[in-house]
Amino acid sequence: MNCDTFLACMHPYVDGELGVSDTVAADTHAAECPRCRSVTARERAFRQLLRSQPRETAPPELRRRIVTRIRRSSRAAALRPWLALPAAAAVAALLAVTLLPLTERPARGVVAELVDKHIAFAQLERPAEFVSADRRAVGAWFLERAGLSVSVPDYSPAGIRLVGARIADVRGRRAAYILYEKGRTLLSVFVAPASGEGDLVGARVTYRGQVYVTRVQKGYRTVAWTEGGVVFGLVSMLDDEALLECADRLRDERARQTRL
Amino acid sequence: MIGWRPGRDRSREFEEVALVHLDALYRSALRLTRNRAEAEDVVQDTCLRAFRSFHRFNPGTNCRAWLFTILRNTFLNRVRGAGRELYEGDAGSAWDALVERASDRAGGGATPEEQFLETALHGDVDRALRALPLAFREPIVLVDLEGLSYREAAEVLGCPVGTVMSRLSRGRRLLRRALGDFAREHGYVGEPE
Repeated sequence: MNCDTFLACMHPYVDGELGVSDTVAADTHAAECPRCRSVTARERAFRQLLRSQPRETAPPELRRRIVTRIRRSSRAAALRPWLALPAAAAVAALLAVTLLPLTERPARGVVAELVDKHIAFAQLERPAEFVSADRRAVGAWFLERAGLSVSVPDYSPAGIRLVGARIADVRGRRAAYILYEKGRTLLSVFVAPASGEGDLVGARVTYRGQVYVTRVQKGYRTVAWTEGGVVFGLVSMLDDEALLECADRLRDERARQTRL
Repeated sequence: MIGWRPGRDRSREFEEVALVHLDALYRSALRLTRNRAEAEDVVQDTCLRAFRSFHRFNPGTNCRAWLFTILRNTFLNRVRGAGRELYEGDAGSAWDALVERASDRAGGGATPEEQFLETALHGDVDRALRALPLAFREPIVLVDLEGLSYREAAEVLGCPVGTVMSRLSRGRRLLRRALGDFAREHGYVGEPE
């Protein structure tokens, strides 16, 4: 990559919108070229200035008004008898609901994609787009940045440190990516919308009463499971026991947050 | 988690999944309408429309982008209904005035730091954004202020990703030009490209 090609893709680069190989190429060029590096730094600072604008909140009165209208119209709809719906449409809707998960065949090997992403992100200059060891800050960032509500488990008792997060693209849909490290070994946690049941291929393992799908891919161990329309995947060089323990903690954390 | 619990009360569900984005909707409505009363009306219409079509929302997808799409359509319909210009030249004069004002101030007595803090932190970015023509303001609001991806912004705006990219870089350049005279001295923004 030279200065011209770098500057041509500088906006998507700073926005984290370049593909992995282009990002690596841009990282490399920026590392070598002081001029492009400083242009990039200024662009980042400008972006920061925009993002740090005071964030207004909706007036409480507006919120109350909307909630009241919605609850009222919801009650009205509940009182309306089913017969008011054209019967055929109702049946079609029911069929659609039951058939959808079965007919929507998943493409194969989501875990393989997670492993590729784990490897690719590790090569980036900034594997975590948002760097923070604060679980709450990472959770807030996901909500803020992508509208995702994600539980961020605490692995510090096992000596596994939270590094940060990024928004990943899994199967063309937005997914949460949380990065941890134990010494120099990275652990990636992916939380992505599930595309179907047949998604996970590998050995079934039961750990503390829960079933996981484990697999070794390109030398990396993976533990994955689906729950409530969401696929969870852990990728690392850590051993199986450690990964399953992490998976178990994530489930715990999620259950705790759901209860709150 | 990115989750969905079927079979629960519909309005509760909507409040949990959609209304958590009310602040973001309100902020964006303010940026679009540049008027508080109108922003409130647009947000309320948006939420009621979203609630009516909530059954069509696909839970695995990004709720915020879906809401922004409805917000934008609601806003555009109102503007069209009122017979106002959409992609206005209306900001042109306000824009020129702003650029001029920024230049004047840069020549004033205060230090660049003081000027920068005074202006950038006390609403000049906001005013510069308000004056930006809608076509450039929209992608900046969605991507820079609300953190949508290019693809999501393209979805909301109903245009190709390439258009989002070019409008973003043009819009950012226009904004920087207005803020640039004083911020450049302070090293916050670069030379105009």
